[in-house]
Amino acid sequence: MDHLLSIITFLPLVGALAVFASPGATARWLALGVSGLTFLLSVPLWFLYDPAGTGLEGWHTMQLVEGPYPWIADLGISYMVGIDGIALLLVLLTTLLTPIVIYSSFSSVHEKVSQYMGFMLVLETGMLGAFVALDTFLFYVFWELMLIPMYFIIGIWGGPNRIYAAVKFFIYTVVGSLLMLVAILALYFFHHAQQGFWSASILDLYHVVLPYRTEFWLFIAFALAFAIKVPMFPVHTWLPDAHVQAPTGGSVILAGVLLKLGTFGFLRYAMPLFPQATHELGPVIAGLAAIGIVYGALVAMVQDDIKKLVAYSSVSHMGVVMLGLFSFNTEGVSGSVYQMLNHGLSTGALFLLVGIIYERRHTRLIAEYGGLATAVPKFSVVMLIVTFSSIGLPGLNGFIGEALSLLGSFHAHPVATVVGTSGVIFGAVYMLWMVQRVIFGPLTNQANKELTDLTGREILYLAPILALIFVMGLAPRPFLQVMEPSVDRVLQQVNREVDLLAVTESAAHSGDAVRGAHGGER
Amino acid sequence: MLILALTSLLAPLLCFALLAVVEPLRRRGRLAGRLSALVAVSSFAAAARVAWMVLVDGADPVTWTVHWLVHEGQGFAPVGIHIDGISASMLAVVTLVAACVQVYSLGYMADEPPAAQGRYFAWHSLFIVAMGLLVLAPDLLQLFLGWELVGLCSYLLIGFYWRKPSAGKAAVKAFWVTKFADMGLLLGIIALFGATGTMSWEHPPAGIWALVVPALLFVGVMGKSAQVPLHIWLPDAMEGPTPVSALLHAATMVAAGVFLVVRAYPLFEAAPAMLTFMAWLGAITALVAAVTAVVQDDIKKVLAYSTCSQLGYMVAALGSGHLMGGYFHLTTHAFFKALLFLGAGAAIHAVHSNSIFDMGGLWRKTPVGAALFIVGALALAGVPGFAGFFSKDLILEELLHAGHLGPLLLLVVSAGLTAFYMTRVVAIAFFGEPGARAAHAHEAPWIMLAPMALLGMLALVGGFGGGLLAEAWGQEYHFAVTPVGVVTTLFGLAGIGVGVVRYGTRTWTGLTLDGLRGFILSGPVDRFWDSAWRRGLLPVARMVGWFDRYVVDGLMNLVAVAVLKLGAGVRRLQTGRAQDYVFAVVVGALLFLAYGVVGG
Repeated sequence: MDHLLSIITFLPLVGALAVFASPGATARWLALGVSGLTFLLSVPLWFLYDPAGTGLEGWHTMQLVEGPYPWIADLGISYMVGIDGIALLLVLLTTLLTPIVIYSSFSSVHEKVSQYMGFMLVLETGMLGAFVALDTFLFYVFWELMLIPMYFIIGIWGGPNRIYAAVKFFIYTVVGSLLMLVAILALYFFHHAQQGFWSASILDLYHVVLPYRTEFWLFIAFALAFAIKVPMFPVHTWLPDAHVQAPTGGSVILAGVLLKLGTFGFLRYAMPLFPQATHELGPVIAGLAAIGIVYGALVAMVQDDIKKLVAYSSVSHMGVVMLGLFSFNTEGVSGSVYQMLNHGLSTGALFLLVGIIYERRHTRLIAEYGGLATAVPKFSVVMLIVTFSSIGLPGLNGFIGEALSLLGSFHAHPVATVVGTSGVIFGAVYMLWMVQRVIFGPLTNQANKELTDLTGREILYLAPILALIFVMGLAPRPFLQVMEPSVDRVLQQVNREVDLLAVTESAAHSGDAVRGAHGGER
Repeated sequence: MLILALTSLLAPLLCFALLAVVEPLRRRGRLAGRLSALVAVSSFAAAARVAWMVLVDGADPVTWTVHWLVHEGQGFAPVGIHIDGISASMLAVVTLVAACVQVYSLGYMADEPPAAQGRYFAWHSLFIVAMGLLVLAPDLLQLFLGWELVGLCSYLLIGFYWRKPSAGKAAVKAFWVTKFADMGLLLGIIALFGATGTMSWEHPPAGIWALVVPALLFVGVMGKSAQVPLHIWLPDAMEGPTPVSALLHAATMVAAGVFLVVRAYPLFEAAPAMLTFMAWLGAITALVAAVTAVVQDDIKKVLAYSTCSQLGYMVAALGSGHLMGGYFHLTTHAFFKALLFLGAGAAIHAVHSNSIFDMGGLWRKTPVGAALFIVGALALAGVPGFAGFFSKDLILEELLHAGHLGPLLLLVVSAGLTAFYMTRVVAIAFFGEPGARAAHAHEAPWIMLAPMALLGMLALVGGFGGGLLAEAWGQEYHFAVTPVGVVTTLFGLAGIGVGVVRYGTRTWTGLTLDGLRGFILSGPVDRFWDSAWRRGLLPVARMVGWFDRYVVDGLMNLVAVAVLKLGAGVRRLQTGRAQDYVFAVVVGALLFLAYGVVGG
C-alpha cells in the first residue's frame, strides 16, 4: 500500500460523485459505506506509523510520504503528502467522526439527502488533504476545498438564519485565507530568491531565512487565517452563528475537525515557518488565548440556548489549546494536541446530544427542559459523562490535555496560565449549571414526559466516542508516545532561532575558547 | 503487602464496574447492596492487615509506581501505591468507616426503589476507590486525581435525590465551591512542577515559590476541608442521604484536606508564615462553626457545622508544626462523627424528620440508638476517657508548645461551645417533650445498629490507640495531665452543665439565643457568596455576552466587509454575492488541477 494516504484522502471524494448521483435512501447508506471504508483504511495508519522510526530525510517524524510528484513542475509545485504523529491522530479523528456524523444525519436530514451526504464526503477529503499535505499550495487547495461544502451545509440545511450564518462563516474564512495566500506567495518568492529554485514544499520553505520585519508580517497573515479558524478571541464571532444555524452534522464536523485545522495550521505552518515572530508575539497570543478562555466561558454561562452554550464553550476550550501551543515546550504542545482530540470528541458528542433532543422536541432552549433524567435516563447518563469529560475530570480524556497544556504554559506564560485556569473553573460552572437545569430536577414540562430515550442507532454512533473518552483518560500513554517525537521535532524547528540566540549569548558570556569553538563549527 | 493494598483498591473498583455495566444487577438493588457491602468489608480487611504490618510489625515503607504519561521519551507522572505509616493507617480508617456505612445503608436505604439502591451502592464503591487513590498516592498528581474523583462521588451522592431541586442545587454548589478551590490546588501542583521539575512533596521549592506553592495548595484544602469562608457547601451537602453525610461529609472525604497537609508537610514546613495562617484560620473556623452549630434545629446541620468546627481544630493543629495531634484527631473524629451521623440517621429514620424538636423523647422509644448517639456526643464534647478527649488535648498541647496562644484560646472556647451544642441536641432530641412524630418511633434494625455499635466501641476506646498511631511518625505518645488539658476539660464540662440546665432540666431558661439565631440563620457568608454570584458574576457574564454580540461581532463584521470591499472591489455585498465567491474558488481550484494535469 504505497499510496495509502492518497487513497484515504480521495476515496471520499470519489464516493461523493456516486453519492451525488444516487437517490436519497441509497445515498445515505452509500455515504456511510464510503466513510466507513475510509475509516477502516485509516486504522492501519496507526500501526504503520512508527514514532521511533525514521521517515523523510531532514524530518524524521514525517512518514508514509508519497511524492513529491511534480504537479505544476514549472512552478515547483508538487503533490506530496505524509503524516507525522500529530497529523496521524487528527486524520484518525476525522475518519472516525465523519461516519458518525453521516450515520447521525440519517434521522435529521430529510431533504436533498444525496447532496448533503455528498458534501459531507467532499468535506472529508478537504479536511484529510489539509492534514496530510506537505506542499503549501496543495494545502491551500484543500483548505479552500473544505470551505465550499461547509458553506452549503450551513446555508442549505441550516436553521432559520442560515444564510446570514453561512455568509458570515464564508467571509471570515475567506478573508483569512486570502491573506494566507498572499503570505504563501511571498514566502514562495523569497525561497526562490534565496535558494535559486522554485518550490512550494513545506520542507524547503522551512529553510527560508527572512528579514525580521517581513517575517513579522507574514506571520501575522498566517496567524490571522488560523486564528479565525480556531477561533481565537476577538475573531470568534462567526462561530456561534455558524454553530447555532448549522445542522447537527455540520456543527459536529465544525467543532470536531475544522477548528483543529486552525491550531494544526499554527503548529505546521505559522510557528515553524516564522520562529522569531512566533516567539516575539507569543505573549500576545497567549494573552488572547487566556482572555478567550475566560471570555468564552462567561458568555457561555448566560446563554439560554444549549447549542450556543456549547459553541461558546468551544471558544473557551480552544483557548486552552492555544495556550498550550504557545508554551514552546513538550508538555504544553503535547497537551495542546491532546486537547485538540479531546475537544473534537467531547464537543462533537455534545453537539450530537443536543441534536438528539432537538430532533425530538424541536427546541434547544434550556428553560424548555428539566428533569430529563426521569424521562430519558440513558441520554442523561451519556450527557453527564460527556459533561465531565468536557470539564476535565481526571479519569476522562479532558483532564490530561488540560493539565499538560497548563503545566507547559505555566513555564512560558505564568500570568496567562493563572487567568486561563480561572476560566477552567467557569467551565465547571456553566456546564454543570446547564446539566442541572436540563437533566435534573422535577420533570414538569408535559412535552418532555413522552420523550423516547436513545435508540439503538444513537447508542451505536455515540459508543465509539464514549469509549475513547475513557480510553484516552485512563491510558494516555500510547497517544502521547505517538505524538511526542513529532511534537519535539516541530519544537526544534520553532525554537531554532531562539536556540541560536541563546548559543550566541552564552558564547559571549563564557570565554574566548568557547567562542572560538562555536566559530569553528560555523 | 502490596498485593493486599492493591486488593483494597481493586475490589471496590471491580464492584463499581460490575454495578455500572451490568444493568440487571444494578436493578436488583438489594443484591447490589449486599455485594458492595461485602466488598467494602473485605477491602477493610485487606487495609487493616496492611496497617497492622506497617504499624505493629514495623514493615518498611513500600512504593510501587508505573508511569502514566510520557515526557521526552521518558516515563512521567508516576501513579501507583505508596504505603507508609500515614497512608496505611488512613486507608484502614477510611475503609473501616466505609464498611460500617455500607452495612448500615443496607438497612437505611431498604425502602428506596431497587434501581436507586443499585446506583447508590455503585457510587459508594467508586468512592472507596477514589479515596484509596488519594490516600495511597505516591505524589501530588495522583492525590489530585483521587481528590477530583471523590469530588465527583460527592456531587453524585449529594444529588442522589435529584428530583428534589434543593438536592440538585446543593450538589452543584458543592462541586462549584470545591472546584474553585481545586484550581488553587492544581495551580499549586503546576507551580511546584515549574519550580522543582517534580510533583513530589519531598522537595520544597526555593525562593518565593516556597510560600506560593503551599499557599496555592492550601486553597484546595480550604475548599475540601470546609474552612471559612469556603465552608458554605458543607451544610448544604446534608441534602444527601444521611449515610453519605457520615462517610463523605464527616469522616473521610472532608478530612482529605487535612490529609493533604499531613502528606505534603515538607512543602508546608518550608513556609512558616503559612503555618501561622493555618493555625489562625483553623481556630477561627472552629469557633465560627461552633457558634453557628448552637442555633441549628436540623440535627444534620448541627453535625455539619460541628464537622467544619472539628476540621478547624485539625487544620489549626497542623499549623502548630506538629502533625500527630491533627492526624490523631482526624482518626478519632472519623469514628465518633460517623457514629453521630449514623445515630442521627437512625433517629431521622424513626421520625421521618430532621428537626430535633420532632424527635423529643426518643430515649424511651429507641434506647440503643440513643445510647450510641450519646457515646458519640460525649466523645465529641471531649469528656475524659472518650476518644475525642485525647486527640483534642494533644492538639491544644501542640499549639501551646508552638506558642500560638491566640488560636489556642479560640479553640478552648470552642471546646466549651461544642459540649454545649451537643448537650442541647441530646437533651432536646432524646430527652425532651415527645413530639407527635416520635410517638410511633421504632428502634432501627440490627443491621443499622451493629455498625453503630462498632463505631461506638471505637469512640469509647479509640483514644487509647494514640500510641499505635504515633508509630506512623516513629514517635512516642504518652498521655499526660497538663494545665491546658484541665482547663479545656473544665470548659467542656461547663458547656455540658449549661446545656443540661438550660435544655434538660429547664431549671434555668434565662439564656436565649434569639439574637444570635437571627443573625446566623440569615446566613451572612452564604449571602456574600450568593450576591457575588447574582450581583457579580452573572451580570458581568451578561455584560460580556452583550458586548460580544453587539460590539465585538459588529466590529468584526465591519472589518470583514471593509477588507472584502477593498480586496475585491465589491460595491455591494449581498448574500447572493458570496455564492459567486464559492464559484470563483471552485473554478480556481479546478484550474489549478487542470493546469497540473495538462501543463505538468
